[in-house]
Amino acid sequence: MSNRRMKHTRKLLMGAGSVAILAMAATWGLAWQLQPEPPTNPGTALDDPALIRHGEYIARTADCIACHTAPGGQPFAGGLAMQTPAGTIHSTNITPDTVTGIGAYDYPAFRNAVKFGIRRDGATLYPAMPYPSYVIMPDADLYALYAYFMRAVKPQHQHNAPSTIPWPLNMRWPLVWWRALFAPERPFQPEPGMDDLLNRGKYLVEGPGHCGACHTPRGIGFQETALSLEDGDTFLSGALIDGWRAKSLRGEAQGLDSWTREEIVDFLATGRTDRVAAFGAMADVVGHSTRHMTPGDLDAIAAYLKRLPPAPGKPVAFSTKRDTLTDTLLDGTARTRGALLYREHCMACHRPDGQGVPRIFPALDGNSALFAQNPQSAIQITLEGGRMPLNPDTDTMAFAMPGFSHLSDRDIGEILSFIRGGWTNQASAVTADQVRQIRSFLNTKKSGIQTGDRHE
Amino acid sequence: MNSPRTPRRATCLILALSLGLSAGVQAQSTGAVAPRTYAVKDEAGASLPAYTIPDDAAIFRHPDAEAILYGQRLLNETRRLLPGHVGATMNCNSCHVVQGKKPLGAPFINTYNSFPQFNPRAGREMSLEERINGCMIRSMNGKMLAPDSREMKSMVAYMKWLAQDVPHGAKVQIRNSGPIDTRLVPDPVRGRGIYAAQCASCHGADGEGRKDARGNVIFPPLWGNESFNIGAGMARTYKAAAFVRDNMPMGVRTEGAWGEGGVLSDQDAVDVAEFFTHMPRPDFSGKRGDWPNGKKPKDARY
Repeated sequence: MSNRRMKHTRKLLMGAGSVAILAMAATWGLAWQLQPEPPTNPGTALDDPALIRHGEYIARTADCIACHTAPGGQPFAGGLAMQTPAGTIHSTNITPDTVTGIGAYDYPAFRNAVKFGIRRDGATLYPAMPYPSYVIMPDADLYALYAYFMRAVKPQHQHNAPSTIPWPLNMRWPLVWWRALFAPERPFQPEPGMDDLLNRGKYLVEGPGHCGACHTPRGIGFQETALSLEDGDTFLSGALIDGWRAKSLRGEAQGLDSWTREEIVDFLATGRTDRVAAFGAMADVVGHSTRHMTPGDLDAIAAYLKRLPPAPGKPVAFSTKRDTLTDTLLDGTARTRGALLYREHCMACHRPDGQGVPRIFPALDGNSALFAQNPQSAIQITLEGGRMPLNPDTDTMAFAMPGFSHLSDRDIGEILSFIRGGWTNQASAVTADQVRQIRSFLNTKKSGIQTGDRHE
Repeated sequence: MNSPRTPRRATCLILALSLGLSAGVQAQSTGAVAPRTYAVKDEAGASLPAYTIPDDAAIFRHPDAEAILYGQRLLNETRRLLPGHVGATMNCNSCHVVQGKKPLGAPFINTYNSFPQFNPRAGREMSLEERINGCMIRSMNGKMLAPDSREMKSMVAYMKWLAQDVPHGAKVQIRNSGPIDTRLVPDPVRGRGIYAAQCASCHGADGEGRKDARGNVIFPPLWGNESFNIGAGMARTYKAAAFVRDNMPMGVRTEGAWGEGGVLSDQDAVDVAEFFTHMPRPDFSGKRGDWPNGKKPKDARY
């Protein structure tokens, strides 16, 4: 190597080194700046049974168990695999085991993790943990949550599973920048024009309920593009996650316009209404979280959701369409391939009138999971089947739908096009290619992730 | 303490990079798995070409398509389409589930090729039309169809189509119902509890079944005036137990045509079957003619 070239290389290396050192120093400086202030001492003894009970309820509203429990595993011991674009990560052990869990966390450390995504050693948590939502939770609730985990959750010695994210993407220090950009410290901001019930609903939806984690579209940095309605008009406008379409919870036709406030309460409390059933990730949310909420809190959530305006750029209402399909299914003149497939595979449960059976088999006519613009959820449940959650206080049985992956992509497209355009539904057709894409996505997902009781 | 909100559109290089690695959707089509195919054997036990359960869509390729489709509709919606002949609020497919295509679910797959057939209950050989009429006056608690009526011919046409080209006397190697140990002693009190937990959601707390907005059968009544009469096979404890174990409840699993079964043990099924079969139901006027040569099964109701 020539002297000149060596000099050049050395210069380059020094330059790169300086940039790296500067970046790390800047990151360290940023991390220092982002250090939250320590909480004020709540003053209540951790052993107070009322405090622990309150904390248990907070844990339900925040749905900690869903992610922090692996299928068949000990509650809160972690190990649930979650697929991210960069690789698979595993949820962590949040039982009070002092070695493998969070037993060594004092309250400020616990609060830092839940509200700000800062691990006890200062590292930043992957944003799969919804700390940008939890940040608005008040200290009183967080302290109760801490008391519940420390005193009522059974310690489980179980080491956290490593992620499969490769270097350099697995480095956590750049996540400090993510935190600075997308997870600012902020208090809950009640809307002055709303009463206490509506603001309670707003708080539950934005904060512990972290509805936006699935229902708000994410941006280029995997951040939720709005953390509240004031923050941006994409809030809860529907998103794609894990092969599901998490529906829009806004007021437009394909959003929650077809749902009454009472239906939302019924759905969250029991996982079903007379017309629909929770499936996929939402079945787990109902099973682990919302069905344990008080009727007052559920009503607050429903009232707030029904107050959300239509999402921008979406049709506010459907045009009127009369059902002419039922009669043709009953008199045997519905003869398209879609109709024949529907008769053979779907009609026994979902019925000629597409109304299903209340609380047993969901209706397909007028069901917002079916007439969504994006058919992804409909395709996935048709391929894989689904199971509704059970609230034993209201229903004796939970029902399931079998998967139809034995049918061809074309036939599933035909069936779904028939359903999405049938009765009074007015959604677009589904192509074989769309079915093929979801089918191959599901095959990839199965090899990379455990399936079972979970939500992403 | 409130740090100002940084504009969200700012790109985050690392995360953008990670998204760039996104696996996305791989173009590797799997399509559908092969349909269920079964061996076929003739009367001497020799293998014949395999049988595949046909899709309904294939009916259209058949020259007798109209009769086959009408027959299938009659079997699925018997009560609505034949009100003058059906006394019970039931359809043939209440027991012959999944279009008569499901092994262990009283399928019609081997029906056409098995008749005429010696019938122990009648003590003589029976034609397929006579056997269907047996169902009409027992399970359907109704009236016989004329053997040469369009309705009867259409039902037979469907069964003939479903049998595909399996020759007379040969058998597709499936079972119409699963084996059940008739030595199991039924406990109807335990059965009542199982009924409440596993059956009542659909069939009703009083066994009344459920109808849709137009009055059509959704779930058939399991006892009472609108149910099958005591002459029906389903009124017999062990026959009902095998059916219930393998086909009920429906809509509880993510496998199977109707998401059915896999819930009740043999003892559970015998207990719940004893309970609901012995609840009040219509009498069968022709009962005196049954089993003229003796050998009455132990769960016969008369």
